[in-house]
Amino acid sequence: MSVFEGFKFRKVSSAVHRLDPRIKFFYVIILFVMAILFTKLLALIVLFFIPLPFVFIARVNRQWLRSLRGAVFFAIIIFATNFIFGYFYPSSYTEITGAVDSLGEYLVLLERASAMTLRFVVLIASFSVFFLTTSPDHLGLALQQSHIPYEFCFAFTTAVRFVPVLADEAQTIMDAQKARGLELERGNFLKRVRNYIPILIPLIISAIRRSLELAEAMESRAWGASEKRTNLYVLKLKRTDYLLVLVSVLMLIIAVYVWLYVSIPSLTTLLSL
Amino acid sequence: MAIIETRDLTYTYPGATNPAITEVSVTIEKGDFVILTGPSGCGKTTLCRCFNGLIPHFYNGNLEGEIVVAGLKVNDHKIHQIARHVGLVFQNPENQLFALSVEKDVAFGLENFAMVRDEMRKRVDWALQMAGISELSERPPHELSGGQQQRVAIASVLAMQPEIMILDEPTSFLDPVGAQKIFEVISELNKKLGITIILVEHRLDLASMYANRVIVMDEGKIVLNGEPRKIFNSEKARLIGVGIPKVTQLYQHLKIHGINLKRVPVTPQETANILREVLKHD
Repeated sequence: MSVFEGFKFRKVSSAVHRLDPRIKFFYVIILFVMAILFTKLLALIVLFFIPLPFVFIARVNRQWLRSLRGAVFFAIIIFATNFIFGYFYPSSYTEITGAVDSLGEYLVLLERASAMTLRFVVLIASFSVFFLTTSPDHLGLALQQSHIPYEFCFAFTTAVRFVPVLADEAQTIMDAQKARGLELERGNFLKRVRNYIPILIPLIISAIRRSLELAEAMESRAWGASEKRTNLYVLKLKRTDYLLVLVSVLMLIIAVYVWLYVSIPSLTTLLSL
Repeated sequence: MAIIETRDLTYTYPGATNPAITEVSVTIEKGDFVILTGPSGCGKTTLCRCFNGLIPHFYNGNLEGEIVVAGLKVNDHKIHQIARHVGLVFQNPENQLFALSVEKDVAFGLENFAMVRDEMRKRVDWALQMAGISELSERPPHELSGGQQQRVAIASVLAMQPEIMILDEPTSFLDPVGAQKIFEVISELNKKLGITIILVEHRLDLASMYANRVIVMDEGKIVLNGEPRKIFNSEKARLIGVGIPKVTQLYQHLKIHGINLKRVPVTPQETANILREVLKHD
């Protein structure tokens, strides 16, 4: 089941993996804010390079590229929408007044649409670094220490834990149904979707049964015994975490300064010089 | 001293017409190693659920009669209160582990008790060591074999230091080697720590050597209760379809053919010794 591959967190350790997830999230949010602040292509290109060192230190380049490839479809839609919209209503969008006719104006339009697409790519790139380098365990812990009710954190980590189990089970059910003559790859699109019903129903039923057994096991291990649970692990901020906070805040200050006082040249004017 | 005592316990699941167990009266002594056996659907699991309060608190339904476990009246105490005294290990190892690492799973019960972290760390390491899985502490449970998973489940119950441990067919998903390992671990817990063990089991060849009592259930009732050798050798056990150890069957066959061994054996080792003695005499 290649679909589920992406959900499996591989246990690797690197400086980036060891960072506190809360701080990493803070850093990603700063990147997010910066990507929203700027509309100029040049600024967004710079932003795109900011998470790159993380990718290399954590050695997740392959997975990271794969998640970017997954975003291609949406990127194309965003580019096309922006371009078409800009063509019909240029004044609401760029400095162009009147209809788009000269080559220069086309280039402006192109740059604008590329910038919007790159903004999306930057968001995907930075968020995927976060998810690729944060173990679900850490994430659950971070949620818990951020005062989110334990029930939700537990539901989250348990869901992650059962993804591979359910994937295995789906495979077993598929094999069993195929052995009984079910043809999954047959017919038009609608028919194919319908083919999956005999897979889904047993899968759902067994998931419900499984959840009952889980509930029993939880009860037997004193679920809800005390108002405030303790935790085997605790997240503590280290020096590198503080460093990352500092870097993130500095980045934000610089970004706000540039946004307020520096006019970023557009790529088209820069290249024509 | 009796650690579990039931009197005329009858229970009907919600929506069912017939009771799953009827008028069960049983006493289990502290430090016992009890094997609970009987054909499928005879009410073994139901009885286990009564012992730790899942019945009536989790399943509702109608419970009549009296049941006292570790000095607590099950009817008047919540499941988490009883959980301090009774640990339950289930059949399917996969569905009783919910954390992303072994040690986190073992700590689950202790976290619920709001135990201080240092103390918890010690308990977790101790439980892992007792179950013989210290080296697995950081692995994700779903990557382990069935036998290892079941030992994690035992460790996670053990960490709570219960007086009674109930294992509901813990080996039915395991291969014989895995099963043997589980029996060795729980027998250690019984001998070294004095934990009362109630083991629900069909395959008695491996398990019976550790037990000092066998209880046989059939159709919701306790039909036999006593010393393993006596039970295995009884006509009634054979009629119900209890998985009598092969060496005990051998004893019975030899008896039919006129060879009378002095004792009823339950383990191959024991049988070999007895046979050697008999052969020397001849």
